[in-house]
Amino acid sequence: MKFDTAIIGGGLSGLICGIQLQKKGKKCAIVSTGQSALHFSSGAFDLLSYLPDGSEVENIQEGVKKLIEQNPNHPYAKLGEALPNLINSATQLFEELNISFVHGESNHYKITPLGEIKPTWASLDRLATIQEKQQFPWKKVALFNLDGYLDFYPKFIKQGLKDHQVEVNTFGFSLPELDRLRRNPTELRATNISNVLDKESILNKFIAILKSKISNEEVILLPAFLGLKNDNAFKTIEEQIGKPVKVIPTLPPSIIGIKLQQYLQEEFISLGGVYMLGDNVLEADLENNSVQRIYTYNHGDIPIQAKHFVLATGSYFSQGLIATQKEVIEPVFNLDVTFDSDRTKWYNKDVFETQPYLAFGVKTNKELQGLINNQPLNNLYIVGAVLESFNPIKEGSGGGVSILTALAVADKIAKN
Amino acid sequence: MKQNNSSHKSNDSYDVIIIGGGVTGAGTARDCARRGFKTLLLERQDIATGATGRNHGLLHSGARYAVNDSESAKECIVENFILRKIASHCVEETDGLFLSLPEDDLAFQKKFIEACQSAGIPAEEIDPKQALLMEPSANPNMIGAVKVPDGAVDPFRLTASNIMDAKENGATVLTYHEVVGLHREKNRIIGVKAYDHINKEEKSYYGSIVINAGGIWGQHISEYADLKIKMFPAKGSLLIFGHRVNNIVLNRCRKPSNADILVPGDTICLIGTTSDRVPYDQIDNMEVTPDEVDLLMREGEKLAPSLAHTRILRAYAGVRPLVASDDDPTGRNVSRGIVLLDHAVRDGLEGFITITGGKLMTYRLMAEWATDLVCKKLNQTKKCDTAEVPLPGSRHSKEELINSIHTGAKTIAQGAIYRHGEMASKIDTTEAVKSSLVCECEGVSVGEVEYAIEELDVNNLVDLRRRTRVGMGTCQGELCACRAAGIMEGKVKNCSTRAKEDLANFLNERWKGVYPTGWGESLRGSEYSAWVYEGVCGLTNKKD
Repeated sequence: MKFDTAIIGGGLSGLICGIQLQKKGKKCAIVSTGQSALHFSSGAFDLLSYLPDGSEVENIQEGVKKLIEQNPNHPYAKLGEALPNLINSATQLFEELNISFVHGESNHYKITPLGEIKPTWASLDRLATIQEKQQFPWKKVALFNLDGYLDFYPKFIKQGLKDHQVEVNTFGFSLPELDRLRRNPTELRATNISNVLDKESILNKFIAILKSKISNEEVILLPAFLGLKNDNAFKTIEEQIGKPVKVIPTLPPSIIGIKLQQYLQEEFISLGGVYMLGDNVLEADLENNSVQRIYTYNHGDIPIQAKHFVLATGSYFSQGLIATQKEVIEPVFNLDVTFDSDRTKWYNKDVFETQPYLAFGVKTNKELQGLINNQPLNNLYIVGAVLESFNPIKEGSGGGVSILTALAVADKIAKN
Repeated sequence: MKQNNSSHKSNDSYDVIIIGGGVTGAGTARDCARRGFKTLLLERQDIATGATGRNHGLLHSGARYAVNDSESAKECIVENFILRKIASHCVEETDGLFLSLPEDDLAFQKKFIEACQSAGIPAEEIDPKQALLMEPSANPNMIGAVKVPDGAVDPFRLTASNIMDAKENGATVLTYHEVVGLHREKNRIIGVKAYDHINKEEKSYYGSIVINAGGIWGQHISEYADLKIKMFPAKGSLLIFGHRVNNIVLNRCRKPSNADILVPGDTICLIGTTSDRVPYDQIDNMEVTPDEVDLLMREGEKLAPSLAHTRILRAYAGVRPLVASDDDPTGRNVSRGIVLLDHAVRDGLEGFITITGGKLMTYRLMAEWATDLVCKKLNQTKKCDTAEVPLPGSRHSKEELINSIHTGAKTIAQGAIYRHGEMASKIDTTEAVKSSLVCECEGVSVGEVEYAIEELDVNNLVDLRRRTRVGMGTCQGELCACRAAGIMEGKVKNCSTRAKEDLANFLNERWKGVYPTGWGESLRGSEYSAWVYEGVCGLTNKKD
């Protein structure tokens, strides 16, 4: 099998890279093991929310400049002058993909399942977001939750909004059709609830409940447990009730994240990309400082050949990085990985402080090429969470690094 | 003499005040209350937070002590059979095997069996092939095996159950009350000063007898009376694995050494322990070092080779309350036996008793000795009945209880009975909502969490974990901690700010045990938890 580019890893970064390359007329294959970190994403992408010193970022471009001064090895530093253009390409791509995002030059704010108000860069417009921390768009809201659904916290959210002078009326509800799930309590999860509520007849019952409870609230806030199969679920509610409906993320599984993954996957395939789902790269042939071909589990001795390869395998969770008792390795190519050889230095004893292990990752040169013994592999590019020298959680940079490095690499490959 | 009054005044007086809510203190409170004394127990944190909650959870047969310390061995086997009877819901009758590996001396096995028999411990030599059939996880290269009546015991449940019985018999139990001084009148201790960490105030309590059951912290308590009890803090580190690889306790048949016991318990198994002297001023800062982790892994794999491929959940360490003999100030002669000090006899100080040393296995006997001394001092003749009367939760057999479940979610009800015995009937199962699972690893429902909050002195999520196992399973609190925090909100005077702080504390407490083993699946899970709690939920430990 011959492709222009073979991408290993089918999460956010791999898919964005593949979609962009297909759009530029490059034939791509993506090898994906399956679930990606998108499955627990909140539906809001952070680009840069906090600097390493803990201060909050408002204007993103200014923030990135300061970030690069504080951490010259950050993936953003490697994007250099292209960064503003890459941000533009990202927002342009969202528009072309027909996914409505809320985004701007400064961060806006999302509401978390625990009622925290946190800065973010680009949110799906169905999410409840706020432009300015001190200026909430609503004075009075109705917040609903399914009785016994434990992955969503109305009390915390109520308190979080009350701190910003928003009056929250909370309502519990139940439906006989959901009781089957409740009798098997492990199944009371967002995805399973959505499978029930998305059915038109049940959705109508749900709408009747909403109608019967609300009065003069300006907006209806729901846990993100709707719309997995029914794209029109929210619009239907809005039309029938005449009030806007916004969602707040739940604990995983994340319906918004799963939908996004599915959507990007479909988009990549409809652009002519080959998505090899449930496959795993076992081996790679290297010659003359470049990758010649890779072998996968499903395809046995039939290799995947390509001019360019992209590694988008994610971090520990997705097993793009594997930590052993002594070292951190990159399992596909055994690339150079930055980590501390003293394991006691991988951790901070306070779980909420910066954890050094999160910044471990694959070393690259300025071109985002992977290295073996400090020698770059000329046709292997590294994107997303597997990269070294950034802390996606503390900085709030996970989404941005995944999207922007993917776009940067797509540009490099297209120019070649 | 009895009273059951939770709204006590600060100057209440009692017959007996017990300092320390470990299993010894809890057992002593039970015994004292059952013998009719008006009893108060004070604990600086939650119950079972010291050595009680930081050991193997091994129901020793005593075999391990048989060769070197026949007195401890005899005490163990007697108490072993008592606990099976009175604390059946805390005990798993797994049996134990003592394995001789190729590097071990088979001559020791012979000596071992003889010593067991003379201590009254049934010890049966088993053919290695048959031993492997009994316990397939055992090292197949073993050259000898001996079967003994070891088992597993849940020290949290055991302590909670003793506390419950003490309260049913009129005792007052105050957790988060730290004793900060003793009231003394001439040569008599007449009460204690305690700091209430929840209401942030100091209070005094008066009693005819004050019992120091503070374990390793007892040395510090005795200093309030200007007495000297020399403790020898010995740190023991353990590892918990994410699966239950063995169903029979595995021991090495050799002189007691590092990491030679593997105990199954609930859904997990534990290997331990190391033993290192630590400075007394470090007893509140126990950390497991990478060297200890490596040693536990290395030795553990010898007992059960599959441990090499089993995910480690966490590491933890406890401090054994060993006591130096009075006539041996150098500490060379450290006793593992029970130490009961009547300070009137030893130091000329009336009204003060110390009960220390001993082991989890002998807590009941320790309590009996201490209470017998109280009886003598207060002229009470009532006999001890704690060896015969079952603890709350063990009054009916598990099988009987499980067979009586006819409705609702059976597996969840079984889990609750397993943990709480017949007390599980207090768990609300009337509505479907109450059987929603908070913790999927351990099968803990909303109803069980609410029962624990309302009936078992739960003040925070860490307390809740000790009562219900929420967050103790494979995921180490990935999602369940958040769910439990949602239920805690609004209960125990918890506002949402405090509930979030509590959640942050819980996650930090878990992390302390996870990071010493932070690689492989363990680190994967930690990264995921960090994404969920900090990334998705926006939880931090910083106040805005």
